[in-house]
Parts: sequence; C-alpha cells; structure tokens
Amino acid sequence: MLKHLSLAWRLLLRDWHVGELKVLVASLVIAVASMTSIGMFTQRINYAMTDQAGQFLGADLLLKSPQSIDDKIIDRAKRSGLKITSSISFSSVIVAHDEFQLTHIKAVDQYYPLLSQIKTSKTQYGDEKSVDFGPPQGEVWLAPRLFSLLNLKLNETIELGETRLKVTAVLKHDPGQASSFMSIAPRLLMNRLDVDKTGIIQPGSRVTYLAGFAGEHAVRKQFEKWLSPKLSSSQTLAGGTEGSQAINSAMQKAEQYLSLASMLSVMLSGIAIAMTANRYGQRHFDQSALMRCMGASQKTVIQIFTLQLFILGLAGSLLGCLFGFLTQEGLIIILKEFLAPDLPSPGLYPLITGLISGFVILTGFSLPALLRLKSVPPLRVLRKDITPLPVSSWFVYGLAMSSLVGLMWWQSGQLFLTLLVVAGVIASVVLLLILSFILMQLSRAVLSVLSGPWKTGLQQIIRHRKENQLQMLAFGLSLMILMIIFLLRTDLITRWQGQLPDDAPNHFVINIQKNEVTGVNQFFSERKIKTEGLYPMVRGRITKINNVPIEDAVPDKSKLDNSLKRDLNLSWATKLQENNQLLKGEWWSSSDVGKPLISVEKGLAKRLKVNPGDSVTFKIAEQSIQATIQSIRSVQWDSFQPNFYIVFPESVINDFPVSFISSFFIDKSQKKQLNELVKQFPTLTVLEIDAIMEQVKSIMEQVTTAVEYVMLFVLLAGMMVLIASMQSSMDERVHSAIIMRTLGAKKSFLIRSQVSEFSMLGFFSGVLAITGTEMIAYLLYTRVFDLNFEIHYWLLLAGPLLSVILILFISQLYMKKVTEQSPLKALRYS
Amino acid sequence: MAALDNPSGGMLDILSGVNLEIKSAESIAIVGASGSGKSTLLGLMAGLDQPSSGDVYLGDVSMSQLDEDGRAALRGDKVGFVFQSFQLLPSLTALENVMLPLELQSSQSAENTALNLLNRVGLSDRLHHYPKQLSGGEQQRVAIARAFVTQPQVVFADEPTGNLDKKTSQHIIDLLFEINREKSTTLVIVTHDESLAEKCDRCLTLENGVLTNA
Repeated sequence: MLKHLSLAWRLLLRDWHVGELKVLVASLVIAVASMTSIGMFTQRINYAMTDQAGQFLGADLLLKSPQSIDDKIIDRAKRSGLKITSSISFSSVIVAHDEFQLTHIKAVDQYYPLLSQIKTSKTQYGDEKSVDFGPPQGEVWLAPRLFSLLNLKLNETIELGETRLKVTAVLKHDPGQASSFMSIAPRLLMNRLDVDKTGIIQPGSRVTYLAGFAGEHAVRKQFEKWLSPKLSSSQTLAGGTEGSQAINSAMQKAEQYLSLASMLSVMLSGIAIAMTANRYGQRHFDQSALMRCMGASQKTVIQIFTLQLFILGLAGSLLGCLFGFLTQEGLIIILKEFLAPDLPSPGLYPLITGLISGFVILTGFSLPALLRLKSVPPLRVLRKDITPLPVSSWFVYGLAMSSLVGLMWWQSGQLFLTLLVVAGVIASVVLLLILSFILMQLSRAVLSVLSGPWKTGLQQIIRHRKENQLQMLAFGLSLMILMIIFLLRTDLITRWQGQLPDDAPNHFVINIQKNEVTGVNQFFSERKIKTEGLYPMVRGRITKINNVPIEDAVPDKSKLDNSLKRDLNLSWATKLQENNQLLKGEWWSSSDVGKPLISVEKGLAKRLKVNPGDSVTFKIAEQSIQATIQSIRSVQWDSFQPNFYIVFPESVINDFPVSFISSFFIDKSQKKQLNELVKQFPTLTVLEIDAIMEQVKSIMEQVTTAVEYVMLFVLLAGMMVLIASMQSSMDERVHSAIIMRTLGAKKSFLIRSQVSEFSMLGFFSGVLAITGTEMIAYLLYTRVFDLNFEIHYWLLLAGPLLSVILILFISQLYMKKVTEQSPLKALRYS
Repeated sequence: MAALDNPSGGMLDILSGVNLEIKSAESIAIVGASGSGKSTLLGLMAGLDQPSSGDVYLGDVSMSQLDEDGRAALRGDKVGFVFQSFQLLPSLTALENVMLPLELQSSQSAENTALNLLNRVGLSDRLHHYPKQLSGGEQQRVAIARAFVTQPQVVFADEPTGNLDKKTSQHIIDLLFEINREKSTTLVIVTHDESLAEKCDRCLTLENGVLTNA
C-alpha cells in the first residue's frame, strides 16, 4: 500500500485546486475543532467547578462519618501526597453568665482549612480579617449571634462540658459552613486538642468526624475513585461538582448548550463531508476508469483513494486539533476571572480524541462515495453512460449514522441529548421532505399565474424537481440548525440575565422567631427594603414512605441521599410559590387547610420514587406525622429565594417549633442597615450572599461570551453545507447557463432568471427551515433546557429572507463567471 | 460473440462470428457505420470488456482465463490507448497526465520518460498546462504521448481524429504512425476517417456486428 503513497499524495495535491477537497477539509477541520475545543473547555470548566466547590467546603474532598475515620484512609491519602485535615463536629450546650445555649461545635486541627480562609472580627459588626488557621488551644471563636444570646464580650470565657475556654474572636465565616448553610444552632470553632478536656465525647455520643483532603486534580480523582466504594452507608464524601446551586445550574445549561452546538456542528460537517465526498467520487469515476484502463487493479485504485482519505483525515484532524486548542485557549482567556490560574493543561488526550474523531467522521461520511470508485468498470473510458453500481443505502446511512451517534455520545457523554438530536434531525428530514413535496405541488399550481424570469426560474426548479428538493432539504436543514442554535443562545442568555436582575435578593435572614415576624416585617417596610416575604421553617426528617421504613422504601441508589440523612426544612404555604411550577397533582384549596397533605419537589420525588397519593411519615420534634402527597412541583433553585423540598398546607405543622426565613435585597451603600437589623433582633442570623451573587453574575457574563464564541462553529459548519449543496448542483447550472448565453440569451435575462430561480429556492428552503426550527425548538426548550417556549414570529419573515440572501450570495460566487466571461472562455473553463 | 441484455427481453447480439488475427507491428483500421459495433470490438480486444462467448488472446494470453485485475495488469503491461475525447484528467497538467501510467507501475523514471515523449510530440513548451488550457490537437498529442509512454505492444485508438479539424487530424495521424513505426507497436484504430484507414496495413469493415472483409 505504501508504494502508492507518493502517487496518492501527488494526485491529491493536483486535485487540491479543484475546490471540493477544500470544502471537505474545511468541514473536517470545523468538526474536529468544535469537538476538541468544547471537549477541552468543558473538562477545564469541570476542574474549575471542583475548585470552586473546594472553596465552599474548605477542602477539595470532605469525608463525613459518624465513626472516627479509619487510619487506612488517612494513610492512603498521605501516601498519595494529599493534604489532610481532621475535625470533629457535634452539638452541645455552652454556658456563660448563667445563660445556656445549644451550639453547633466544630473542633479543628492545625491544618484547617486546607482551602480558602476563615473570616473573623474583633466586634460583632466590625471589619473582617481573614486567617489561615483555626483558634489555638484554649481559645474559641463564636458566631455573632452567640454574643447576644449569652451577653458575651470578647476575652470572656465560656463553659463547655468540663472545661472553660476563652472567646478571642467573632466567627464571621467558616469555609465549611456552606454544607450546613441552614443549620439553626449558632456555630463555635475550637481547637481539636481541647476536645478531650471537655469530656463531652463519650461512647455513643452523636458526633460527626470530618476529614478534608486537598491536592492535585488527578491525585484526588484517583483517591476519590479508591475511597468511594469503601464508604459505608452512613459515610458521605462531598466534593466533585458541588458548589453554588445557581452556578451549577447555569454551568450545566451552558455545558448542554455547548455539547448541543458541538453535536450539531459535527452533524453539519458530516453532511458537508458526505456531499463533497459524493461529488468528489463522481468526478473521479473517469479517473478511476482510466487508471483501471492503464492497468491499475481494483485494489490499487481503492488503496490510492483510501490513502488520499487518510492524508486528508490526518491533515484535517491535526489542523482541527490546532484550531480547537487555540479556540479553547481563547475561551479560557475569556473566562480567566472564573478559572483557577493553575488548571492542569489539557494534555495529549484531546489531541488523540480529535484525531480519532476526525477519522471516524471522515470515514463514516465519505467512505461509501469512495468505495464506489473501486467498482468503476474500465469500459467507461469508451462508454460514459456506464456508472458503478450504487452502494447499498443501508450501508451508506448505517455507516454515517452509527459513526455520528457513536461520536456524539462519546464526546458529549450525554446519551439522551445525542438521541434527541439524532431523532430530531431524522424527524426534521422526513418533515422537510414532505413539506418540500407540498411546496413543489403548490409551485405547479402557481406557475400559470407567473410570467417573465419568475416563470423561467420556477420552471427550472420544477424541471429539476428531484435535485432541487434535495438541495432545499440540505439548505433548509442547515439553516434550521443555525436558527435553532441562535434562538437557543438568545433565549438562554435572556433567561440568565432575567434570573439575576439587579435587585435579586442578595441576603438571607434566618432564625426569625414567631414573635419577631411582625417586627422584622415592619423593619423592612420602614426602610423600603424589598423582601421575598417570610417563610416558615420547621425541621423534620423523613422516616417512612407508605409506612415502610425509609431505608427499605427507597431505591438503592437513593439510600445515600443527603436528604434522608439530615433534617429537612419543611414549610407551609397557602399559595404556590412564584418560581415553583406544579408538575403533577393539584395545589390545595382553602378547604384543605389543616389536612395532612404535602407538595414535594420533583428531584426529591424522583429520588424517593414517590408520586401523588403516596404517604410520607416525618419525625418532627420527636413526634411522628403522616401526610399524603398531593402534588409534585419544580423549584427554581437558582432564584436566590427561599425554596423548600416539602410544603404543607396551613395549620398542619404550625404548632411545631418554627423559625422563619426571608431573603432581601440591599445594595452596598445600605449595608449598615444590617447592623441595625441584628442589633434590633439579636437572635437572627444574616447570611450575606452578595459576593457570591457578584461572582455568579460575572460567570454568567463570561459563559454568555463563550456560548456566542462556540456558535461560530455551527455557523461555519452550516456555511460549509450550504456551499457543498450549491457546489453539487452548480456544474450543471453553470453549463446550462453557458449554453443559453451561447445561444444568444442576454446577460440581463440570465441574471434575472438566475436571481428568480435562486430566490425561490431560497424562499422554499427558508419556509422549510422555519417550520422545522419551531418544532425542534419546542422540544429542546421544554425537554432539555427547561425554557418557556413561544413562537418566534419575527423569524417567519427573517428566516426566508435570510435564506434568499444566503443562497443568492453563494450562487453568485459560481454564476459570476458565466455572466462576466465571454461564452467561449466560460465554455472552455466550465 | 458480444451480447447485451435487451431491455425488451432476451439478448441483443452486438458482434457475432468475428474471427480476427492481428500480427505484431501490424496497423489495422476498423471502419463501419455508427452502431456497427466498432467500439465494442475495440473494448473486447483491449480487454476492457468480456465477450459473452468466444475468446480474445493478447500474445499467447487468453483474456477469458484472467479475472478483471489480471486483465488490468495485462493492459498496464502491454496496451496503450488513444480516445476520441482524449480522456485527459482535468486536474493534471500535460506532463502529469503522461506520467500517470508509469506512476501506477511505480516507475522511478516516470518524469524523464514522459518529458522525452512530450518533446517527441512537440509539446515541450506546454508541459505544465492543464487540459483546458490546450487546444484539441494539443490534447490529443498529450494522449498519444501517454499511450506510448509505457512502451506497449499494442495501441488501441478509438476515433483519434473524431473531435479534430481536418488539418489537425492530418497532423495527429502522421504523428501516430511515426511513433508507431519508431516503437514497432501494433496499432488498432477504430475510425470513420477514410484517410486514416488508408494509412493502415489492413482495413476491416464492420456491418451490423459482422466483419465483412476480415
């Protein structure tokens, strides 16, 4: 085979200037660049998300266990080179000035926290100071609320079990607190070496042992892989992609969008490759026949063309990888504020996947066309009408489809989205075929009404009905994909911007007691602070489902679910919360007040495998209460408003110990009002999330730019299909136009009839495209992206218009030579 | 016999009872009306197609004993072609077109041999022109150079002057016969052109698939 390499190379070089090979390679470059850049980018984003989560947890990975952590785990982590911190958390009562207060205590070692910093201050409302380590032996740091509850001042002492500890700082922020964001008890941070002196921890005490790990991404991934299967059902390992829910949700949608854009650009490139390879194959029937005539065996012919395919694949894929890498670097620069500076380099993996992908797509879409060349009979040199037998359609479509699905699934890791896209495109092709057939029938009907060049143009379209229908299909399909990607981008960005308006709540206030509700409301209204209302919160744990203990009732994979291991915040409400949406069942009416009914969040319902009609038993303040599920609802977790997994109607859990939660917006200049609030209501806790909000907003803006950047790939791939589809029919069009000119047709007549023919072709393709766009967009919006779907009326005009302009523009590139050159020259060069 | 599937049923005889022997270095012309089966006969003799019955020998090799790849190897080794429509590859220059048969045989001296032959047909100043930049006569001269470049034993020419004017035709005929003599090649020409047929050692006439003066 290699002896033909140099001949294959030379023939390929000589063919290069003909045109279709450039489109083929360009399509391949786009497909590979799109896949590798998006692959590398999402990989790096995932790393960044993990790092972000680390900042929240104070470690990359956090192991929680009710028993002390096995030394083997610590040894393994040490040997892997991970940094380790061990701490203990438990609840206990602290005493000061004869006041008692239940407190959430965390005892940390000298390495805590591994990531991020602890924030303390010298006064309850004073300036914050960041420190790298927890309190030294003999000292404790307390949450601001404890100072009010216990009438404490700095440097006084508290009693904890059998020991006394000195209060040396106000604890403003502890990186680990994100995981117990809503815990009611105020926090205390102490040194682990003091724990024994307290004498609190006895066999049987309820204690959580924590081990935090931090280190290189690859090392901790390996450690996580080793550790996960060894965990007992009572142990949890946090880390990975946990982080702010709002960031997660936006990033997840952005990733889905990027995957979709990548899949569609691969698909479009595949179509362009198939079209150009088909044309390339047909143009080489004569060459193949001639080579056979000159003594080349079938094997030699196929080896030469396969080698050419290999060279094209290698060059296109390498170039694609290069562009992919550069694009990805560009994206990283755009997102530099969000991404950690020491991200691991993408390595050789994307290069290898890029090369494999390039060959798979090239082979899948062009091999059938090239295989035909093998069977061109040598007699074709004497009789042009002899063409090789077409390759089986099953083989052509089967090969293309299987390579496409395999590639899209492998690259995106999202089977559902892959199947949805493929099914959507197949359905669109069928739909567009039917529509194009109807349009053709309608065209016949209106033919008699038209005159002049419009009539000639339409006649041309009808005369070459089959070819034109195919062209409309290719054109309509690529336009449709371009429009879907554009609409989705616009609506996603609008949604992200709408999700975080300038006055979105940026503070939470929790632990508002029943008797403080009126006062807090008054405080907000007097200062014209916009709140999201006060929501009741009762702590309770799910114990049974349909009277079966929870451990036995839920599917295996849900047994480790966090929501089953901790108290949930239960609430009650008369009306469905604004950002919630009812999915199953009905919301209660006024007659249901006092009835034991509940509404469950859809994610929790799915994990617990429950539906309306099922009963759930809760343990609230040592009492059991059973309720029937009346509805399942979706919750917009990224809304920065109080949201609940479980909601009851009024007067069911109202008598249990309750506190209230609210969220509100104040800008930086009004910050001092927070101090007034805490002074007036010393027992409530204010959580400032404005910094996180700013971060989320900036990430959204950067992701928006990235999304726009990636849309370029789809646009380029779409253009390739448009050019390829025009190329395939242009030889014949150019030839007939030249003959018409030779026979005396005026230049102006030719231009007019060309413009009318292509305008109508463009219009028809545009109509097909907008119909398909709206249908596919409906499915994507409602099933994948969770967006509200509305018909895009402006598209009804813009779609066909854009299509006409594009098709006229591309056709002019080819037809120019017919109208500008002399007929003789045009004839010779056609 | 050469036969074709008849769309209206049965087989259609294109050639029948053809019995013909051509000696080495002989030049022969096959003439006849359009549709008389001239090109089919040429295709069979050159091993481009197989007769439905009967056999064709090139030297002492029976074509029917070879599979398609065997016939291809035989063509590459012993046969050259000149076609009415030249059959030059549009993406290759004149030099590259002539080099192609040698390149397929992995010849090391393809370029030099091709240069010599192009020089011989008077196209040394058009080496790097593409077919569309050459006149019809020039294209056919390139095709003649390509036909002789592998030093074949037999050259088959299918209407070599069919697409050319009278003056150019004459020039092409002269060239074809000159090189044929120089290389002592067997020349089989299918033609309508009487002046071309007259230059051959023998002239055969085909009528409705039957040789009338073999």
